Amino acid sequence: MKKFALIGMVLLCGWSPDPAIETDEMDEASCVSTDPPVYYAIDLVSTRKLPGTRLASGTVDMTFQASPFGIAVGSGGHYRYNLNGRIEKMKPPREGVYVVWLSTPDLDQVHLVGPLGATMTFEGAVDWQKFLVIVTLEKSFDPAQTRWQGPVALRGLSRSGMMHTMAGHGPFQSEPCAFFGYK
Amino acid sequence: MTLSLRYLVFSCLLLPAGAAVGQGHEGHTMHHHPPADSAEVTWRMPPMDPSMPMMPGIEKEIPVVAPFLPAASMAKSALPTARERAIVELADGDTLRMEAAMVTKTIAGKTLTMYGYNGQIPGPLIRVDQASKIFVQFVNNIELPTTVHWHGLRLDNRFDGVPGVTQDPVNRGETFLYELTFPDAGLYWYHPHIREDIQQDLGLYGNMLVDAIEPEYYSPANREEVLVLDDILIDALGPIPYGRESPTHTLMGRFGNVMLVNGNPNHSMQFRTGDVARFFLTNVANARTFNVTFAGYPMKVVGSDVSRFEREEWVESIPIGPAERYIVEVRFDRPGDVAMTNSIMAINHFMGEFYPHVDTLSVIQVLDTPSDVDYSASFQTLREHHAVIEDIDVFRPLFDKPVDIHLELGLRARGLPVSIMMAMEIDTLYVPPMEWNDAMPMMNWLATGEQVEWIIRDLDSGDENMGIDWTFSLGDVVKMRIFNDPHTLHPMNHPIHIHGQRFLVLEMDGVVNRNMVWKDTAIVPVGSTMEILVEMSNPGTWMMHCHIAEHLHAGMMLGFTVTDDSTN
Repeated sequence: MKKFALIGMVLLCGWSPDPAIETDEMDEASCVSTDPPVYYAIDLVSTRKLPGTRLASGTVDMTFQASPFGIAVGSGGHYRYNLNGRIEKMKPPREGVYVVWLSTPDLDQVHLVGPLGATMTFEGAVDWQKFLVIVTLEKSFDPAQTRWQGPVALRGLSRSGMMHTMAGHGPFQSEPCAFFGYK
Repeated sequence: MTLSLRYLVFSCLLLPAGAAVGQGHEGHTMHHHPPADSAEVTWRMPPMDPSMPMMPGIEKEIPVVAPFLPAASMAKSALPTARERAIVELADGDTLRMEAAMVTKTIAGKTLTMYGYNGQIPGPLIRVDQASKIFVQFVNNIELPTTVHWHGLRLDNRFDGVPGVTQDPVNRGETFLYELTFPDAGLYWYHPHIREDIQQDLGLYGNMLVDAIEPEYYSPANREEVLVLDDILIDALGPIPYGRESPTHTLMGRFGNVMLVNGNPNHSMQFRTGDVARFFLTNVANARTFNVTFAGYPMKVVGSDVSRFEREEWVESIPIGPAERYIVEVRFDRPGDVAMTNSIMAINHFMGEFYPHVDTLSVIQVLDTPSDVDYSASFQTLREHHAVIEDIDVFRPLFDKPVDIHLELGLRARGLPVSIMMAMEIDTLYVPPMEWNDAMPMMNWLATGEQVEWIIRDLDSGDENMGIDWTFSLGDVVKMRIFNDPHTLHPMNHPIHIHGQRFLVLEMDGVVNRNMVWKDTAIVPVGSTMEILVEMSNPGTWMMHCHIAEHLHAGMMLGFTVTDDSTN
């Protein structure tokens, strides 16, 4: 009886329970996890310029900061994330210290996260929409330092950085890039 | 079910007598439209940012469903003008007569044909005492069949307002007697549960404010404001037509381009310096999540859907998804002319960038005159709500129980124009956790419920949507894990609503929720995994669905039954 009622509701809401599916975009292999979203995790890639970093790689997980609303956004609508990074297969520096930074993609703003811990992990927070995570080798850690001075060991780009202009590309190829300021 | 049969069903449900179906597509140039009062309904392309280029290959496309507008054959002059919401205070046992009927309302200089409850937009604000019972004698006088769903109430299942499950649709001229009970204090709302994308969007919504039995349930305030947040999609000729057989805008939902507060695009409020105002906010928009700000005045969040928070918190803004409610208190501690805004970081997919976007929701004037009563001391105190904490304490031992149900949210599509499919595939290089604006209005408009199916999949059984058929016993406490798959064709945030029960959000993405509130609707962002604990406290057959109206009508819903074994 209930089945009939449910089917009746479906009809009233305008949905057929047996559509002929042509495209199934649901990923059968998608795993469910309470871990941070894999999709938004940032891959840290070695520059291979420094001794002990040739095989190094890392991951930075992004989770919303604690919020009574579940999602965390500021009064300007910026997402607010906690960052939790870990680096593997990187040897401690012979001298100096690895320091983690955040930067906007055009490098006009830089934020010091802090030194990389002995366990090659770090924690930080960010409210930029697109950003870089950068690990540099500094002579020493100076909390007053506003911009890195040493060489870059690893770097990564937030997933949002992949949102790239389609002006002059893809389905918009008929549009002249220059018209939209891209030359 | 065949397409023709489905069309027949919808023809019976939606076809207003005398309404002609236009097939031409004249929207792109916005020329050659029939007069605004014409009975002819034709497709018009939704308004979009003129800097946004038209995707090659879809310039001449129109939705594959027929266009629909209400009362297209009726002269607007024959309809009454919508009135402002009235406050109706009802005592235990009282009956309210409530009629859904056609009205006109002027928005952005255009007189629109809309719907109203008792001739009002929003419908009457029903104010009752907690634990009371009232009756609503509902009359339908719109051309569409309808029902009334009493959102958030843990009421008798027979009166939940779901067609085909708890009642038959109420056709034009018919009545239905609802019996409403209010076990929980707070803010609730009512709306149709048939084609909400049309009926709710055109004005059929209203609030219920339930006064608590507990004394001093809230802190003292100088003012209380019940604000309904909404938007509507219109152009120079009025509302952009809706899909007749099934909704348009099924990818992202129908975002409006005119913001409404209590149905008013020019809402304003006036306070005195020092006033503490308690705002009861409800988002009734089809799809839009608002990020509400109060010009930097100090603000704390007090409650949400079905209870107060365990602890009040200072907040900068209130992100509120469709169907959610939040109760916040604001102290206007300095004079000035400011605005309540929707402040977001919007996305321009074409340029590949985020950009700040601000909508004025209400103009606020804070007078130099001081408040009558100074409540600043109580406002500065963040209260702990011990009754809420003690209520939740009963469930705390169950927070670590194994997950009972694993759900995954996704989408299937068929028959969309090839260029749209291509663009969506490119777009998935990055999808944001939340869609705050309609960044692809043309693609969204063209995607109808005939082509798009949103899916809730039970990973344990493999069942989907209305194929899911859970049965629980009264008193069961069920842990659900909901994963919003980012790798589906067009991922989007989903405000998931559960009828007739209440739930706690335990954690999201492994981050434990340290300040809980009883909810009936919660946003699951793209890529996120949310764990909720549902108290099956109310017997009957209930719905669980996405509250983006177009997603609901594109299939994103399931049913479950709570049995009362003591009565068997």
